[in-house]
Amino acid sequence: MLPLGLSKSKNNNFYALQTPKNYNMGVSMFEETSNAVAVQTCRNRMIFAVIGFFIAYLIIAIRVFFVCLPHGVKISLPEEELTEREIDIPSPIARADILDRNGALIATSLPTVNLYANPKKIQNAKDAALKLSKLFPEIDYDTIYAKLTKKRSSFSMIKHDLSPAQQAEVNALGIPALEFQNSEKRVYLHNNLFAHVLGHTDMDNIGQSGIEKFMHKRLTQSSKPLKLTLDMGIQDTIHEQLAEAVKKFDAKGAAAILMDVNTGDVLSLVSLPDFNPNIKIPLGEKSLFNFITQATYEPGSVFKTFNTALALESGKIKITDKFDATKPVVVQKRKISDDHPKNSWLTVDEILTYSSNIGSVKMAEKVGKDGQRKFLQNLGFFEKVQDFEIPEMGRPLFQSEKNWAPITVATVSYGHGISVTPLHIITAFSAIVNGGIYHNPTLIKSDTQKVSKRVISEYTSEQMRQMLRNVVLYGTGKKADIAGYEVGGKTGTANKADKGSYAKTRVTNSFISTFPTSDPKYALLVVIDEPQGIKETWGYRTAGWNAVPTSGKIISSVAPQLGLKANFDLEAQRAHIKAVQ
Amino acid sequence: MINTKTALLALWFTLTSFVIFGCFILKNQVHDLERELSKINQNIASDIRYIHVSKAEWGHLNTPARLRKLAQEHTSLNNLKAEQIINYSALPFENESSSVALATSETKDLKQLVKTQR
Repeated sequence: MLPLGLSKSKNNNFYALQTPKNYNMGVSMFEETSNAVAVQTCRNRMIFAVIGFFIAYLIIAIRVFFVCLPHGVKISLPEEELTEREIDIPSPIARADILDRNGALIATSLPTVNLYANPKKIQNAKDAALKLSKLFPEIDYDTIYAKLTKKRSSFSMIKHDLSPAQQAEVNALGIPALEFQNSEKRVYLHNNLFAHVLGHTDMDNIGQSGIEKFMHKRLTQSSKPLKLTLDMGIQDTIHEQLAEAVKKFDAKGAAAILMDVNTGDVLSLVSLPDFNPNIKIPLGEKSLFNFITQATYEPGSVFKTFNTALALESGKIKITDKFDATKPVVVQKRKISDDHPKNSWLTVDEILTYSSNIGSVKMAEKVGKDGQRKFLQNLGFFEKVQDFEIPEMGRPLFQSEKNWAPITVATVSYGHGISVTPLHIITAFSAIVNGGIYHNPTLIKSDTQKVSKRVISEYTSEQMRQMLRNVVLYGTGKKADIAGYEVGGKTGTANKADKGSYAKTRVTNSFISTFPTSDPKYALLVVIDEPQGIKETWGYRTAGWNAVPTSGKIISSVAPQLGLKANFDLEAQRAHIKAVQ
Repeated sequence: MINTKTALLALWFTLTSFVIFGCFILKNQVHDLERELSKINQNIASDIRYIHVSKAEWGHLNTPARLRKLAQEHTSLNNLKAEQIINYSALPFENESSSVALATSETKDLKQLVKTQR
């Protein structure tokens, strides 16, 4: 059988195109010769083609032979390609991990199984319920029995998140109606430590609060771990110190936040009382309240920091200007006096150092309502803190422009008549000390440039740093003066509002600080809610006796962890060492 | 020419046999490799799950609260405080000669210790 179109030629021994029988009929000798040449050419081409095919075929056959028989296929890839090749293997969990800024795991999901029953397959419900209730003492017999005998149903959930040991025990029961469903459980490795930041998820692993809720989409769409700006070690140190302070001062609660003033990164956020997100939390529980982001409170004298910055930035007041603080000031028939009256004329620096209400009011009056409102608005005090990755955010409370009366100008100057969250305070404070740039605070570690704006001049910022340092050296913040770290800050003791007036014994104390003041890196805000006077504080309950020493302890522990180089006064240190010897 | 034709046909059949045989072997090898790959992938997935759980356990074992408790139980170490860090230049040497004398005596003690150990 010859291939199509080929026939054996009589004139040669090879195969040529089939020649029609009437090929030579009525043609000349010349034409016949010409056709013979064409056939010859064709034949030669065929020979070449066939030889070519044979050679190709031979090469393939030999190659196949060698590939298959002796040692199989040897892949010789460059070494780099072999070692650095990334293989895309699906993650064993559906919800991404959450890491701290150093890559330490703080929240993860573990593969578990849920136990369910198929009531249609159950043979001896009583026996099965008895066995299961012995295995899971937290579920009573009646509940299990009711689930096993559920009518017209082939699915009845018995228990979520079984451990491998429990799964083995259920298997050992040998009840065919019991089946398992693959699941995963969100686990918070540090229990309460990051409670208010991370939040929690429900039984179906859907974020219910905190970052778990805000970043739910990101955590479920990408298996890449989410890196936070928080530092586990620092968070633990602050949590420990704060818990100690709550216990010591018999306080209702306490909160602290540590921020990188140059980026807005939050390194630690603690709010007490807190909760364990690994345990189911009833809605409305007080411990769910995040004091740092949700609590709007009148910050008291802490706000004088912003009033002083406003005064200097307005250009109407110089740092050397003096104000009469010899007698109380009366605004709209309301008398405003100082808690620790100096009864003298005070410079701007002294007004802040001695926390003079009178001086602050006079400075604010000189700047005026419009200047004050514009400045506070620029510092973000009239809106929720923007772009912070927690859904539980408090909205500031303040008078409308129409109702912003002279008394409002006066009271706001020393932190009353306006309620803001601790997050507002630390974010604005960071801008005041870092050279005047306002950064939106963040909890998510990112390399991208964040939104920032200038709110005060570099010169005003420098002046503010010097004055804040003086508060710690000579004013109410002395107990936070940690050698070498040049702490600067401002205290605030605000009486709590109670039935239209201010409670005398219930206070919210704050201390906002930065360190080191010569080149600010971090800002720390410590708030203690309703601390009590104790023997050690001579019965006093003002911020200088509780929030300040707590901040001092925190800075003392945290600064070395942050790798800050202490700037020591050598002579003072030598004197201290000699005194110890 | 018959010989040529026969030789060509023989070559054709030989090569075809080789190719058929080779393909058969190749198919078997591919099957084996696929089985091996599937097994390796299963093992990798299992290892990844195991590593994931181990990481969680490692994280749990390294919680600062647990480490602090262990440190308090088994060592006398406490948290480092800022006051504990001082500059070398702040060390209370009375004068240069006394520091040199101290250094020299320390060196002598060290040399003696090395000698004893030898």
